[in-house]
Amino acid sequence: MPGLPSFRHFRTRLLVLILGLLTAALGVSYFLVTRANRANAIAHIEENLAGALRVFRFSVELRQERLAQSAKVVSADWPMRTLYLQEELDRHTLRSTLVSYAERLDVPVVTAFGTDGEMLASTMEGLSDELCGPFRHLVQKAESENADQAGDFAYLAGRLHVLVVVPLYAPRPNIIGWFGAAFPIDDTFAQGLKQTTLAEVTFVSGVGETSHRVLATTLPPAWASIVADQMPASRTEAAQTSLVTLDDEPYVTLFIPLGLLGDDPARIALQRSLAAELAPARDLEDIIVLISLAALLIAFLAALGAARNVSQPVQALATHTEVIARGDYGARLDLHRSDELGQLAESFNRMSAGLAERDRVRDLLDKNVSPEVAAQLMREGAALGGEEREVTILFADLRGFTTLSERMPPRELITLLNRYLDAMSGAIEAEGGIIDKFIGDEIMALFGAPVASSDGADRALAAALAMRTALAGFNATLAAEGLPPLAFGVGINTARVVAGNIGSHRRLNYSVIGDGVNVAARLQTLTRDPSHGTDIILSAATLAATRKPWATRHLGVLGVKGRKEAVEIHALA
Amino acid sequence: MRSSRFIFLLVLTGLALRAADGSLTVRVQHGQLPLADAVVSLTPLDTTVSPPAVFPEVTIAQEDKEFDPYVTPVMAGTRVSFPNRDNVQHHIYSLSKPKRFEKPLYASGASESVLFDLPGIVALGCNIHDWMIGYIVILPTPWFAKSDTGGGAVVSGFPAGRYRLEVWHPRLAKPVSREITLAAGENPPEPFTLQLKPDRRIRRTTDGRPGGY
Repeated sequence: MPGLPSFRHFRTRLLVLILGLLTAALGVSYFLVTRANRANAIAHIEENLAGALRVFRFSVELRQERLAQSAKVVSADWPMRTLYLQEELDRHTLRSTLVSYAERLDVPVVTAFGTDGEMLASTMEGLSDELCGPFRHLVQKAESENADQAGDFAYLAGRLHVLVVVPLYAPRPNIIGWFGAAFPIDDTFAQGLKQTTLAEVTFVSGVGETSHRVLATTLPPAWASIVADQMPASRTEAAQTSLVTLDDEPYVTLFIPLGLLGDDPARIALQRSLAAELAPARDLEDIIVLISLAALLIAFLAALGAARNVSQPVQALATHTEVIARGDYGARLDLHRSDELGQLAESFNRMSAGLAERDRVRDLLDKNVSPEVAAQLMREGAALGGEEREVTILFADLRGFTTLSERMPPRELITLLNRYLDAMSGAIEAEGGIIDKFIGDEIMALFGAPVASSDGADRALAAALAMRTALAGFNATLAAEGLPPLAFGVGINTARVVAGNIGSHRRLNYSVIGDGVNVAARLQTLTRDPSHGTDIILSAATLAATRKPWATRHLGVLGVKGRKEAVEIHALA
Repeated sequence: MRSSRFIFLLVLTGLALRAADGSLTVRVQHGQLPLADAVVSLTPLDTTVSPPAVFPEVTIAQEDKEFDPYVTPVMAGTRVSFPNRDNVQHHIYSLSKPKRFEKPLYASGASESVLFDLPGIVALGCNIHDWMIGYIVILPTPWFAKSDTGGGAVVSGFPAGRYRLEVWHPRLAKPVSREITLAAGENPPEPFTLQLKPDRRIRRTTDGRPGGY
């Protein structure tokens, strides 16, 4: 089947087109959905982190306030004032007292200062007087602002702390010293902030140091170092958001500068996992993928079905076309469809019916008219009209047929006649003549029409001789069958006649008319005259039209019935 | 708080009585463990107790910022001195009914005695060291004993007779007592159980930065 691959190709193309379009549409929508989800998640995390920052600031404020309150309670304590105002300051007792008070108030660091800011005692181990700069800074600030307290972020022994100082009155407004309290921003603090805000918290030292140092974090140490390395290098005061990848997971990270007393600002990194935020959206995206795959599968099957639905009938039509091309017009194609393809099949059926009809007509035409006339009719159509041309007309009449007809049954008679006519027709057609018509047992044949030829006269004479030979052969057969021999008479004339399709609109006959036709018929009847002694008579016009030499015998000039002029006739030897 | 951890079991294990010198051995248990610092005393119900000619010298030191000993039973009328053996000052006080006193910030080496003349429980504190706590159990009788780390306490030197057996411990809400007769041939009384309170003493960290916040 030569048509098949292209149909397969059509099916493939349809599949590729539908699946391609669908995949593109689904892919684009998936892409847009994931992008929107991601953008939403980042925006949501940024909001959360801004909230976490507020929680941090509020928490620090609250603790700072509590520190101040505690420090005030200690500063107002009677034994404490007594200790301060002893003749000689007992630092050991002061320190042990501070330890006791720090426990009582649950304050991590309590430190006592003299009026000039000199450190007297501290509960913090390793906190020397030199390291108390930030406290002294706050003391100066409180003094200059005449404030009851001052506080800020600062490093104490290298660790980040929130500091508060309050004056020790004895009595107010006489300041006999200062109390400093502090709590560390350490991993525990970071964990506490994480519990409230659900954000990962990392504190990193300022950019002024040679390398960023992790001060406190909720992250594993290795991750915290990564966060420290990603800290913005600039000293800008603005908060910055960026994506930091920890263990292949992106974290939306908010970096906030944290002003320090006498040092470069530290920074807080607040982080939340983008993957965790996206998890619910990811579930939805997975469902979209599943639905998309299902849709693709359904579309694939539907497209396959549709392609089959089209390609199969088209294949059937192609096959049917092949059958018709082979000439089998009788085959019918039934697709059992009412759509365009069904209509196409119907058209095909009508077409093949039409072709079958034409074929039948052509067949009948071939039998009823000569092949040349039939061909011309098929070619030029059955137009009425005509043309004048020179034609050689041959009439052949059977002798003694009437006698024979009385002695034979009709069927056998027709059979015999047809055998005779068949033999004669063969001789005529062999020479290129066409049978114009059979008139009973008489044959009218034309040479040079409908196809003009220059040697019509020669071929007519040759045909006449061949007919004579054929008749002899036919007679031998008849003799063998025990039948009497037959004889014929042939008249040949060449003349300009009118040729054309003659008849009504319903029925046409290609024929020739004119005086020359009558002359030919008349010459045939002359063969009955025994005086001429020939069965083939031709006119001088025919003889004149020949190009080859023919053995003829001049018979004379005779007046022909119904014709003014006499006709010179010859016998063909 | 009905946990067995707070069951205080007093078992009177041995009773020996001679003419004028009785001896009562008591084992104090907390669950299966011995309980130290319980004070067991016998107060006669039928006779009065005459004060001794000379009271023993009793000392409660401040050492390593603690009271030593933690619990001190004394007979009413005893003077107790409070020497400071630390290199820091202390500021001890009592706000208890039997004896209210205060010794403001005094330095190492200083020792002053206080007379405890009324029976009862005196809780000692230090104004500048919250974790410091000590008890003085002032009794109207000379026959008392404090359980040692093995939970054992031996009261001796009392004559036969009817007594109020009293038990006190810092983790008892108030002293528990019952009447017993101690005479030759008497069986020791049945063990009795008491409910202990949780230990609420301040857990003192080492003298440095307190942990936690």
